[in-house]
Amino acid sequence: MFHQTALKSVTLVILLLGLGAYVQTGGYYGRELVIEACILAMLALSVDVVAGYGGMISMCHGALLGAAAYAFAAMTALLGWPPSLSFVIAIVASTLLATAIGAVSSRTQGIFFIMATLAFGQMVYVMIFDAPMLGGDDGMAGVKRLNLDLVGINFKKSAPFAFACIALLALSYGLAALMLRSGFGRTLSGVKANEDRLRALGVRVWWVKARAFGFSGLLAGIAGVMAAQHTQFVSPELLLWTLSGEALVVVILGGLGTLVGPLVGAIALVFVKHEISSVTHYWHLFIGIALILTVLAGGRGLYGQFEYVVTRARRRRAKDHA
Amino acid sequence: MLDVRHLNKRFGSLAVTQDVNLSVARGERRLILGPNGAGKTTLFNLLVGELASDSGEIHLDGERVDRLGVDARARLGLARSYQKNNLFDALSVAENLALAVTAARGLSSNPWRDTHRDASVQEDVERVAAQVGLEARLHHTVSDTAYGERRQLEVGMALASGPKLLMMDEPTSGVGPAMIDGFRQLLQSLPTDLTILIVEHDMDFALDLADRITVLNYGEVVFEGTPSEARESALVREIYLGADDA
Repeated sequence: MFHQTALKSVTLVILLLGLGAYVQTGGYYGRELVIEACILAMLALSVDVVAGYGGMISMCHGALLGAAAYAFAAMTALLGWPPSLSFVIAIVASTLLATAIGAVSSRTQGIFFIMATLAFGQMVYVMIFDAPMLGGDDGMAGVKRLNLDLVGINFKKSAPFAFACIALLALSYGLAALMLRSGFGRTLSGVKANEDRLRALGVRVWWVKARAFGFSGLLAGIAGVMAAQHTQFVSPELLLWTLSGEALVVVILGGLGTLVGPLVGAIALVFVKHEISSVTHYWHLFIGIALILTVLAGGRGLYGQFEYVVTRARRRRAKDHA
Repeated sequence: MLDVRHLNKRFGSLAVTQDVNLSVARGERRLILGPNGAGKTTLFNLLVGELASDSGEIHLDGERVDRLGVDARARLGLARSYQKNNLFDALSVAENLALAVTAARGLSSNPWRDTHRDASVQEDVERVAAQVGLEARLHHTVSDTAYGERRQLEVGMALASGPKLLMMDEPTSGVGPAMIDGFRQLLQSLPTDLTILIVEHDMDFALDLADRITVLNYGEVVFEGTPSEARESALVREIYLGADDA
């Protein structure tokens, strides 16, 4: 069950401030890394809500991100709609799509749930891939960014855009924390632990799962809309199941069911990937080894392990005092 | 309150519930007796919807419920405790009870209200914990509590959901005499308009509490009457209490 502990709050603040400082000091390349890390962190956060707290391992979150990105791209580049309106509609679309996927997939469990979400994700991929209007294999260029000139922010520059990504990451975390602390969020954790008992208590388990999936789709949608604006280009690669897999890797690397862990995992993955790939092409190998070590060390992930060590030390200290 | 008509259930060629008719009045304490394999737990599973009946009808407060799912029947006021503990072992006693209270108050779908800090939810949690004697164990993880305390929590979970009909499947199984006394006091302290259906093997405990008794054998109702009629019934003594007592 979710608890926003002091350790989580401190870690979150340090991460966000660290990203902000890197935007200021890291130059253009540094800002690009921060944007990439924030988008991946938002996606991983959305996966952690359903996988870490609801026990639903999803393989369609890449498609949810991609669907929001394409929706935003189509509205701004094809229809010429204002980016602010497109922003809202794209996120609502990914939320509704995720709720529908969740409503159907929640009738299954375990490996079948994973397969159902994978199938839905592939359906979205194929539909977009086969749509000539959306550019098919070539993707779609000309995606506009939000226009914040009225408030004196030039969103076309990388620094304001990177700060917006950090702010949206903080907002996504806040929304997820609020939801997980609510009656609904606690019920979701109960679903993960013992869904039959919750059903016997009168809870519509499938609807709880569907809504949680929908909420998760909202967070993935925010990540998708920012991804589309980042490169101002969308391609079917955004919808690939491998992106869902990468998000899952990030969650496990950072700490499944910790909420702050996915942020740690995403930042670690993006920065390590770029550092190692400048030396060797085999950066996947290092991530793979890190993932195996994480699982062998108890599966708590980087943040989870840190939290475990701190909590154990605190208990030992309290015992010594007593 | 509860009206069961011609209920049947088969597992392959084995008839586990055969033409069961049961009528339980509001506020009644009904004891379901029967030897092992008589179909008592199966009957409970059919009533709450964990098993689908082959035929027959179940009515709760005049409403037909046998086509409803487990959650829908629970929302109509049907709550049960399990023969084998069925709890949230990694959560604390308070968190377990809070899940039941949250569901009963319709807060399971509220995405904003923090039920952990909600005074009214916590009040209900503490009230139920005191009712089942777990007020001192609220913040202990279930997996760290004793077996008997988990039995108490089983009943607490069912009570916390605010039932109209409380079904208890062997609440005292595996607990000591002191705790059995505690359960007796608990059941005697419950509101008189709460209908209770109880499967129990401790005869002294059960006969003291029951208003009426239904005896099942091979899935069939073979006796229905008051506790004193049951004590005097040769048939009941033969099939339940054993030939030596007959």
